[in-house]
Amino acid sequence: MELNAQIAVTVLMGVFLVAVATFLTRIENWRSYTPVGGGGSFIEESGYIDEEKPAGIIRWLTTVDHKDIGILYGLYGIIAFAVGGLMVTLMRFDLVTSSSLLGTSTYNALLTSHGITMLFLFGTPIIAAFANYLVPLIIGADDMAFPRINAIAFWLLPPAALLIWAGFFAKPLGLFGPAQTAWTMYTPLSLGAVGPSADAVGGAGVDLMLLGLHLSGVAATMGAINFIATIFTHRGEEVSWANLDIFSWTILTQSGLILFAFPLLGSALLMLLADRNFGTAFFLTDGGNILWQHLFWFFGHPEVYILVLPMMGIVSYVLPRFAGRKLFGFKFVVYSTLAIGVLSFGVWAHHMFATGIDPRVRASFMAVSMAIAIPSAVKTFNWITTLWNGRVRLTTPMLFCIGFISNFIIGGVTGVFLASIPIDLVLHDTYYVVGHFHYVVMGAIAFAGFAGIYYWFPLVTNRMYQASLGKAHFWLTMVGSNITFLAMILLGYGGMPRRYATYLPQFATLHQVATLGAFLLLIGQIIWLYNMVSSWFEGKRVESGDPWDLRQDNVRTVEWQWFEQKLDTQIATDGGDEEVATDGGKPADEAEAVAEERDDD
Amino acid sequence: MDETPGLSEQYRKASPWPLFIALGVPISEIGLVFNVLPIAVGGLLLFCGCLAGMLQEAGYIDAPWRALGVMALLLGGLGGAILYVNPQVGADMTMRAYAVLASAAVIIAGVVAGTLLVPKRQQPA
Ligand code: HEM
Ligand SMILES: [Cu+2]
Repeated sequence: MELNAQIAVTVLMGVFLVAVATFLTRIENWRSYTPVGGGGSFIEESGYIDEEKPAGIIRWLTTVDHKDIGILYGLYGIIAFAVGGLMVTLMRFDLVTSSSLLGTSTYNALLTSHGITMLFLFGTPIIAAFANYLVPLIIGADDMAFPRINAIAFWLLPPAALLIWAGFFAKPLGLFGPAQTAWTMYTPLSLGAVGPSADAVGGAGVDLMLLGLHLSGVAATMGAINFIATIFTHRGEEVSWANLDIFSWTILTQSGLILFAFPLLGSALLMLLADRNFGTAFFLTDGGNILWQHLFWFFGHPEVYILVLPMMGIVSYVLPRFAGRKLFGFKFVVYSTLAIGVLSFGVWAHHMFATGIDPRVRASFMAVSMAIAIPSAVKTFNWITTLWNGRVRLTTPMLFCIGFISNFIIGGVTGVFLASIPIDLVLHDTYYVVGHFHYVVMGAIAFAGFAGIYYWFPLVTNRMYQASLGKAHFWLTMVGSNITFLAMILLGYGGMPRRYATYLPQFATLHQVATLGAFLLLIGQIIWLYNMVSSWFEGKRVESGDPWDLRQDNVRTVEWQWFEQKLDTQIATDGGDEEVATDGGKPADEAEAVAEERDDD
Repeated sequence: MDETPGLSEQYRKASPWPLFIALGVPISEIGLVFNVLPIAVGGLLLFCGCLAGMLQEAGYIDAPWRALGVMALLLGGLGGAILYVNPQVGADMTMRAYAVLASAAVIIAGVVAGTLLVPKRQQPA
């Protein structure tokens, strides 16, 4: 039997490899019929050459174009957001009553997957979506520095998602369950094989999740190297460090953080995997549990800034467009970005105040954690001052930017309280912490993501979304977030511990309020999804190269110049394969701190 | 073969290799962690083969054979390292080491066959 199974797997693997090889030869053949036009290489293309792309699904499987990859990242992030959102919807409905309807192990599995899905499969990829599509356009690069690496980084993600969710697929087949370690994967719980908790947290499901996380970390690191190389070496001639735009600055900083944080997570995950499967003892010895927490949070705290910095960049980029002014104190926004980047590596132990580490160490981490609030506040004041006396237009992206600021203030201030050791010792591991970071991750990060999606929707699709649905989406999301997460902060004050499927009866009302808020959020996101899909296919076509009327305030940014050129080309050649007809860019459109479009020499 | 790639303007907008390189990583990892030899070998072959293909397509190398040889050496080293630590850890790693070594052997066989049998002009695009 064993042998037969081995043979069967071997044959399957062989067939698979042969199929891949055949497929590859056919693709290569197809390509050798299409001249690549490398010959007269001094003739610069001034548009993107579409005819080199194969048609249909193969195009999407083989693309190395930064814009296509950006769209793929975007779709991926949105699917992950939907999955993670549905998971938490189930959890919130479980929490309507003080006993668990789903059962505690299912609840724990959903809890684990929700957190990991939102952070690693939605947060990081949705940022990569914006960065891939926009950074090369904004800084005047033809593409990313390493387009193929870019594609590899993306394609690592779908397998990563399948591995992370594997337990949910395997359970109905009676194989193994999903991981129940929570996203922090603390040992000894996550070690499984030793101790009384052996495999109570998911068995092979945990191993697969660790592999999936590792993959997503490799992908993020490859992407980060690519962005650093692109921003350093592929800027257009007019783009200097002095006038590099704010979004690219945040992406650059974020990539630096990824470069130091994710490889460390990867190593720690492999050590855990080795402890579970290969008989090593990294985390089994004395101090192993504290070691895991140090390694995890040395990654984990920078990770939260990996997520929030680029989103701050989007807000800094979009908000001034609808305030009719330049970003106030541009330089200081850049400096505070860099300051946060550096400081974020010095605060990790604020997640470990309650572990009994040396009080002197604790105090220094408290000091740095308080200090990091300063650059965050600098940014906040800069945004508010940008609005001051501006010609504010409350479009949907603008609403989300303002919502971002509002929620980020609450998230940040609750964070400062947690950074204070005596307060943290009371509030640690309560819903207060959950409320704190959801104000930031949902209230700020997701809000900025929506602002970006609405703002650049016409750029990507050539169409406009339906404004009234956008407004409905904003208000449901804003009200829903604040109801849900304020209720959590109050629950935390009351002493409700986090990560439980059941609770004492006195917490019922606030839990029900939180679920009500989550329900509003759900409705809002359904509206948003409908708006996006229907507008993508049949929204009103954008005729002008300036769909946001940014020129009247003289705040148009360079990517819309590219967009205008794209529209002109489409009209001129009707999607043909001609050389793009251009005459030099229009001199009128100078935006702050941005470059001209890619020049044709 | 006539072009001089390496500069960003000359990149083609499509490449079949990244997808399969990305598939090779999880397949080989699953094979190695769960100790399923054929899957580990298949994943490693997929990964190394496609990596060589992509290097060639990008113009970093003219023929895949030497790059494959280097990868085989690296795999050989890894397999040896696993065999070396095997007695020191609590789990039996022999089959995992063999999986890595087997992939190295298959790749070396491919390199030998490729250099001897494929005429220079007909090296894959
Ligand atoms: C203003 C600066 C901030 C400070 C001083 C701060 C402080 C803290 C502290 C002390 C904790 C640990 C609470 C505990 O477990 O007892 C914490 C938890 C957390 N914070 Fe913040 N925070 C800040 C900003 C942020 C931002 C910007 C994000 C997200 C982008 C974030 C995400 C998180 C997350 C995810 C956790 C919970 C981790 C977990 O235990 O699962 N925080 N924060
Ligand atoms: Cu932190």
